[in-house]
Order: sequence, then structure tokens, then C-alpha cells
Amino acid sequence: MTTTSTMRPVPVDAFPTLTSSTQAETEKILLEHVSDPNKPPTLHKNLHMQFLVRALSQGLPARYSSQDASQPWLLYWTLQAFSVLQVGLDPGTKQKAIDMLLACQDTEGGFGGGPKQTPHLLPTYAAVCSLAIVGRPGEGGGWDDIDRGKMYKFFMSLKQPDGSFLVSKHSEVDVRGIYCLLVVATLLDIITPELVEGTAAFIASCQTYEGGFSSASQPYYTASSTLLDSPRPPLGEAHGGYTFCALASWVLLRPFLPSTSTIDKKALVRWLVQMQGIPIELGGFKGRTNKLVDGCYSWWVGGAFGLLESIGVDPSAFGGEGDWEDVDDSLLNRRALQEYVLCAGQHPAGGLRDKPPKSADLYHTLYCLAGLSAAQHKVIPSPMRRQQLLDAWTSDGGLRREVFLEALCFTEEEGTETIVGGAANRVNATHPIFNLTVTHSDAIMGHFYKQTIPPRATRPV
Amino acid sequence: MSPADPPPTPYSERPEWADVVPVAQYEKANPLAPILYTDEYKDATDYLRAIVKSGEKSERVLALTEHVIRLNPAHYSAWQYRYETVLALDWPLDVEMTLMDELADLHLKTYQVWHHRRLLVLRLGLPAAAPELVYIAKILAKDEKNYHTWAHRQWVLSYHNDDALWDGELDFVDVMMNRDVRNNSAWHHRFFVVFQSGVRDGEEDRERVVRRELVYVKQQISLAPNNASAWNYLRGVLEFNKRPFAIVEPFVKLYTVPRAEDSRDIVDVDNPPPGSGAELPCVAALEFLADIHEAEGRIDDAAALWKSLGEEHDTIRKKYWEYRTLQAKNSKATA
Repeated sequence: MTTTSTMRPVPVDAFPTLTSSTQAETEKILLEHVSDPNKPPTLHKNLHMQFLVRALSQGLPARYSSQDASQPWLLYWTLQAFSVLQVGLDPGTKQKAIDMLLACQDTEGGFGGGPKQTPHLLPTYAAVCSLAIVGRPGEGGGWDDIDRGKMYKFFMSLKQPDGSFLVSKHSEVDVRGIYCLLVVATLLDIITPELVEGTAAFIASCQTYEGGFSSASQPYYTASSTLLDSPRPPLGEAHGGYTFCALASWVLLRPFLPSTSTIDKKALVRWLVQMQGIPIELGGFKGRTNKLVDGCYSWWVGGAFGLLESIGVDPSAFGGEGDWEDVDDSLLNRRALQEYVLCAGQHPAGGLRDKPPKSADLYHTLYCLAGLSAAQHKVIPSPMRRQQLLDAWTSDGGLRREVFLEALCFTEEEGTETIVGGAANRVNATHPIFNLTVTHSDAIMGHFYKQTIPPRATRPV
Repeated sequence: MSPADPPPTPYSERPEWADVVPVAQYEKANPLAPILYTDEYKDATDYLRAIVKSGEKSERVLALTEHVIRLNPAHYSAWQYRYETVLALDWPLDVEMTLMDELADLHLKTYQVWHHRRLLVLRLGLPAAAPELVYIAKILAKDEKNYHTWAHRQWVLSYHNDDALWDGELDFVDVMMNRDVRNNSAWHHRFFVVFQSGVRDGEEDRERVVRRELVYVKQQISLAPNNASAWNYLRGVLEFNKRPFAIVEPFVKLYTVPRAEDSRDIVDVDNPPPGSGAELPCVAALEFLADIHEAEGRIDDAAALWKSLGEEHDTIRKKYWEYRTLQAKNSKATA
């Protein structure tokens, strides 16, 4: 891409503050990682695979005790990173994963962060998505061991009068938890109007004046406990992680949306594009205005672009006009994002990271790879695929069918693959809502909705 | 506890815990990606699992949960069980709060330390709110953009919604802003206080408030013109109050030219010029001016600015500027 000489720093306006000095330090480090125009960057798939295999088999050092309450996440990050890297697992390893995940299921429904921990929405997402990858139908296969009836009761027990959900009993409300709940309810065929009543309005209330979404909002009630439409202030500023979760939730809620609920799409698109760093930041993404780029936002923000078509933002709608016509009509700079992951995100010893000189970890390994995938592939809702699924549908119509079709109609758009560094750097496409491969999404939803999934025309991903 | 301290005596060797049978984490499964716990962590959590199973709520459970939390502040089940124990024992909440002052300070980035504080502040009611704002200010002084801390402050204010609490907030924003005018969390907080949580005492004249905020944000832009946070605030004030962007056009134009005109002798509070160190033109100002043109139907003028952004001033977002151009031309054609 750009050579060092054209790389201007973020302007300081001769008015340095803490923000500009940490920014300048980061720019200095990133400059050392600019790609050599004569040497295309390589994705070190083998090194990353070995990093993941080491985590699985040798275990994680004691400092990972801080994630003792996130054990299903450690598995999900590892298993999904394997999927993105196009690596399959042997039946023995799969079974060990299934047994471990089931040990985290609570007798009253939902999954905890480890065995005998209280159930919590976040590890519940991680456990169910992990089971989508390694599980199967039948005895001991994981899928039929999920207690869906109790899961639904667990979800309802967390519901708040403003349409939000606690992440666990006595715990906080935030949109990460809502995203996790909606993904699980969608995959397992337990999403209902009762479950999601008021949730869309809650999500909408988290959008800030900047266009992105915050962690939560604060409800105000009348003396007789009626929820007021206003004020309903967002708590915290617009943030990449919350914005992904809010937008993906919004997309999952579409079959249930009351026509009165709206979000400001134009402001959202503007905020998302503003999060991409300039050339001196190697085109990585940041999570908030005036913060530093971080590899994990390659997915949380870079991946959010994959959801825009579902809410009616379609740049290709204006194609064929003007002098700027181009095959690539994405709103993010796909090539620059790939360069950030390849040049700054990879740790030389394997695994991926926030930025140099930080060490690699499982969380950044997955979200850098998933972001790379989102930048390589354009996976969008396809009317043709939707029709195929509809033709094959064998139960009654209604909301259940709508949820199924909306979730599984995503397909990679032909001829839009863009791979920096050559075909060897290609990773698998991932479902823009679930962050599972399309194959895994098809399989688990086909099982729970009792549908036969028609084969996909394009190569399997 | 410093790393040099010897680990405490394991629970398994303490006579006062002899009545409890520890519960291992995995009884059957042989975990994948196992965490290689320290002996101390394994021992403490084995006893925590035993306690959760028996349902015991006692002072020794408070000591045990504190121990686990100090080793792993993200252990949300330990926090939940501790909270239930505090309630069951009618444990003095001020004592618990003192412990939280220490723990929040040690583990600033952890969700749970902030949520536990919130549960305590909820039970302590309004008298605990003002001291909480003081504590939060102390933490923000050393971690200026801590998301949980800012969100917690906003919760304390909006949950109680008490005039006396809101009184000091604009001064607090100023303190944070003077320290770093690029702190987006402080800008968000200002928006939250001024516009999003009802109308404060003495701010009923909204026209005056909007004018005050415009003067404020323009002053801040003149100090550091390439500050995305301040430009977003300016947009936010106008959009929220349904004012056209064009009302600030003379101000914005000062930042779209390559060099500032020498106007230091004239004090124009409505249009403060960029300082002498400003790096111009400012990308945010070019974008803003293009938005003004678009809103007023001057699509060609807007397109010229978008083109200069895409090709020169903001090349990373070339696709977006192209999209804006095509979108504007398209909507004009179909209008």
C-alpha cells in the first residue's frame, strides 16, 4: 500500500495531550511494521495453528486464571479460530470439548463460566457456539444435551422491564449479553415475541450522538412504573464491541421489530467508517473516538460492515453511475484492514494480538482472524438462497420460518473475494451475525428447526 | 499481597475448615485447554464450590470469597455468592464499601468490581451517591477513559436524578477536558449531562443552553482543530436540537482552508479561529462543510469536497466518500 513517505501522523496541532502522545508512540511502533511493497505479507497459518494446538493440549499458563470464569470462551476462541483457519478436529478432541462444555451447563438451564459456576449469558453463547462447531445430534453429541426448556426459563428470569436482560442474577445489563442471548435463542429455535418484547427499543436507546452504541441505557419510569420513552440516556460512549453486539441484535430482531423502532443508520455508517485508522495506523480499527487501533476491532467494527446490507444500507445500489465505478463497493477499506492484521496483528511466535509489541492471546487470535475473514469475503443476505431455503421448508410458516430464513440466507457474493498477499492467505468465510462458519450455522439450525438444508451452490465454507 | 509473601495456609490444612469437603472442578470430564492453576487458586476455588453447594452463609464465607476475588476479580460467581452472603448476614455495608474502594482501585478494568459497588450504592441509597461521585473522580484522575467508571458515574447520576448531584457535573467535565481535550469519554459525559437526562435546574432556557454549548465546543475546536471528539460533539448538539449545520458555516470554513488567516486581533466568540499551530485544512471540517452543501442541495460543491477527501485528505475512507457522492447524486436525481 502506501509507502512510509506518504504516511502523515494524526495531526497534533501543536497542542499535545495524553491522547496525542500515546497515539504518537503507537504510530512510531506501527511504522516499523509497514509492509514491504516488494514482499507481500504472509499469513503464518502453521504458526497460529501450533499456537492453538499448544493451548488445547499443553494447557494455559496460570495467568489465564483471570479467565477461569470464561472457560467456554477459551474453547470457543480456539475452536472457531481453527474453523477460520480451515482446520478440522479429530473425533477424540471433539468429544473432550463436548464433555467439558456440558460440565458447564447448569441444572437450572444456561451455561456457566466453568463447572459449578452460576449460569451467565456470555459463556452460554460461547458454549452453544462451541457445540455448533464440535457437537452432533444424538446421545453424548452435545446438541440434544442442551436443555432448551430450562434455557428459555433462564433467559426469562433475567428479563428487565425496559426490554433488556441481566447477564446473570445480581449482575449488570449490557448489550453484549443481549447479543449472546439472541444468538443462542435463534440457533436453538427458542426465540419468541414474549422473550424479545421491548428489546429492540432498548437497543435503539443505546445509540449515542456519535452514531455507535454504548453498553446500556438508563430507564426512567413514571410514579406508576411506566417506562418513559424519554429520557433514556445511553450509559457510556459509542464503543466498537457494543456497537457490533447492538447491530447484530438489531438484525436478529428484525422479524419481531415493531415498525416504530428505528436506529440512525446514516450516523451508524459514519461512525463505523470513522473507526478505521489512517495509513500510519496501518488501516486497523479502533473501538472509540480518539483511542488506539487494536486487532480485536478488526472483527467488532470491521465485521459490523457485513451486517449493513441486512438493515438496508447497500452501496452497490448506486453502482453503474459516475466515474467511480468499481467492483469493490465495500464501505470499509478491505485491503488496509488485511494489512493491519497481517503486518501488525501477527505475533512472530504464533497467535495474534492487539498490536506490537504485545503478546498473543486466544481472544485476539480469533478476532484478528475473523476480522481478516470479514475483509476477505463479502457474505451477504441472498434472495436466491432465501428462496431455496423457503422451498425446502417443511413446517408451518410464521415467525419461526422467518427467523430461520433471515439467519441462514447469508451467502458469499460471487467474485468479490479480495485477498491481500495471495491465495495462500485465504481464510474461511464466517457468518456475519454468529461468527461461526456458514457450514456450522447451517448444521446446528437445521437440526433444531428440524429442516433439511439444501446444498449450497458455491464451494463449502 | 506482594509476590514475595508466602502463600497462605491451604484451606485443606486449616482446622477451622475441617468440616468442609472440597469439591473438584471437573469430576468426569478431562478438560481441553486446561488452565494450569496455582495450588492456592485451586485450593480456594475447591472450597468455594463446596460452600456454594452447601449454601453456607457466614463470616468465613466472606473471607473465602474475598480471597478468590483477590486472586481472580472476574470470578462473577464468587461476587454473586459474596453479595448474597453480605445480605444474609446483614453485614455492615460501609465495611464492605471500604473493601470495594481498595478492590476497584486494584482492578479498574473488571466489570464485577464496578457492579458490586453499584449493588451497594443501590442499597445505601441517596446518601451514598455524593461520596461515590468523589470516589469515581479519584479513579478517573488516573484512568481517564475507563469505560466502566464513566458508565458507573452516569448511572449514579441518572438513577438518583437528584439536583444536588447534577450540580457539579459541568465543572467536573471541565476538569477532565482541561487535562485532555481529546478525551472522548469526557465529551460523551458532557452530552449526557446537558442533553440526555432531562433538564437540569437553571437550564430551562434551552436556547441559551444550545448557544452556550456551541460557544464551548467551538472554543475547544480552536485549541486543537483536528480533534474528532469535539467535531462529533458539535454535530451532536446540532442534530439533537434539530438545528441545521449551516448555522455554523462561517466557523467551519475557517478550518477548511490550508492556512489560517491572521485574525488574532479580532475576538469573535462565535467564530474562534484556529490557533497558530493548527494543521489545516482539517478533515473533519471538510466533511462538515460537505454536509452543509449536501443539505442545501449544492451537490456539486459537496462532491468536490468528497473527492478531495477521498483522493488527498482522507484516502483510507475513499470508498465511503465515493458512496456519499453517489448517494447524494442518486437522491437528487430521484427527488
